[in-house]
Amino acid sequence: MLEGAGVTKKFGGLVAVSDFDFSVEQGQIVGLIGPNGSGKTTLFNVITGFYPADGGRIVFKGREITRDKPYQIAKLGIARTFQIVRPLLSLTVLDNVAIAVLYGRENMSGMAKGRMRALEILRFVGLESKKNILAHQLVAAERKRLELARALAIKPEFLLLDETFSGLSDMEIQEAIKLIYRIRDDLGITIFLIEHVMKAVMGTCEKIMVIHYGVKLAEGKPEEVSKNPSVIQAYLGKRHA
Amino acid sequence: MYVSLTESWNLMGGYTGYVSLGHVTFFAIGAYTTALFLNRFGISPFVTALLGGVFAAMVAALVGYPVLRLKGAYFTISTLLLAVVMQLIFMNWEFVGSSTGLWFKLLPVSMETNRLIFYEVMLALATLITLLVRWVEKSKLGAGLIAIREDEDVAKTIGINTPWLKVQAFILGAFFAGIVGGVYGYYMSYIHPDITFNINTSLLILLMAFFGGCHTWAGPLLGAVILSLANQLIVTFIGAEISRILYGLLLIIVIIFMPNGMIEYIKVPEILRKERVP
Repeated sequence: MLEGAGVTKKFGGLVAVSDFDFSVEQGQIVGLIGPNGSGKTTLFNVITGFYPADGGRIVFKGREITRDKPYQIAKLGIARTFQIVRPLLSLTVLDNVAIAVLYGRENMSGMAKGRMRALEILRFVGLESKKNILAHQLVAAERKRLELARALAIKPEFLLLDETFSGLSDMEIQEAIKLIYRIRDDLGITIFLIEHVMKAVMGTCEKIMVIHYGVKLAEGKPEEVSKNPSVIQAYLGKRHA
Repeated sequence: MYVSLTESWNLMGGYTGYVSLGHVTFFAIGAYTTALFLNRFGISPFVTALLGGVFAAMVAALVGYPVLRLKGAYFTISTLLLAVVMQLIFMNWEFVGSSTGLWFKLLPVSMETNRLIFYEVMLALATLITLLVRWVEKSKLGAGLIAIREDEDVAKTIGINTPWLKVQAFILGAFFAGIVGGVYGYYMSYIHPDITFNINTSLLILLMAFFGGCHTWAGPLLGAVILSLANQLIVTFIGAEISRILYGLLLIIVIIFMPNGMIEYIKVPEILRKERVP
């Protein structure tokens, strides 16, 4: 469904993502892991058009999107969340989602209709009771849900999640994992996620890619990847490999 | 007049968060277009004022695309430059009267009646523009603009064509300002680059919007009315020399103690009610 070949991004002399190949099939949940600064978020920013790629091609459903702008990519059906959640702080939770409904792929007009649809989405992620609160009054876990709700509001077919689990308690992580399964199973959305919380990645993803210094180290099923010597070396150092 | 200008400025400055100091340019272009069409072609005042709006909107479209790529202070500075450069052009351009200015051919009535007519028109215009801006605020366009103000990157990820939306707001604001400029020209019956392109007008618009509160349609209305009144009262009762100082003090007080404008304080009960709902 989403494929990249030879994707490269440089910042001056630093090669943040180097000749990276990836593919995500429809209906999969695929994880992208790697130590801090390894290029995970950069890759997401390249996919979503925030950074122009310095090389390679990205193809979504047979259509090249490498040079498209972020809003065009969103309209094609790729939604994303941000690592550090970015709610529209001075708006209510409901309106945060409603604006995304209006400008997303359903392209509705009229705030009233947008709010109706937004309410359904808030119900899906379990934020319905907070709908009239201003976004800046939400606690961290709720903000993450709002971030998800806003991404879902554009009616995507593909969802990029940037560290949705970080900063959550164990119980909250369990709930978030359930929510991610529901997004895939009930809404039929393919998911590509960046994660640090190993338990969550190992439990949810069918396929994992490991990135280190912008280069792909390994790819495969979670249990295979976790035994791969070069992965262990990247995380824990040579001694443990 | 200031109500109209401040409201039209607020589309860009308040909702979208792009603080422009070039608004006076659109106002002046409106005034000049109107004068030229009236004097050279003898077209009716009410049509020419609209044409003023159209011309201002066209200039905004031309300038908007490159300038709106800039953010924050860079955007503000470039709009300031726009205002200054346009003033210089009009000062030295024979066709538009250069530094002698332009007289308006008045309606075949007395000066007083003429003023009265255009005063009424201005009042109607202010009401109309305020209502339109209020409508925009509650519409899809307004929601998109607010999303851009809150976080432009997020706006992009939810499918908003941010450059196009910003240009729309810029053009709409310029269109209104152009019409106001045209009507102003008739009211004054004489225009000169020093007066019409005066950068102080831009500053005043900005201050009125901030004073009243620029996140809602009611804020600029309140700010423009109160500051216009305050200015008149101070000049009348205390004296023109000291008026600027008092005026400045008033602004400083409001900006320090009411960073979101006076409208916030008037609306407090409503906000409290909102928070109790869930």
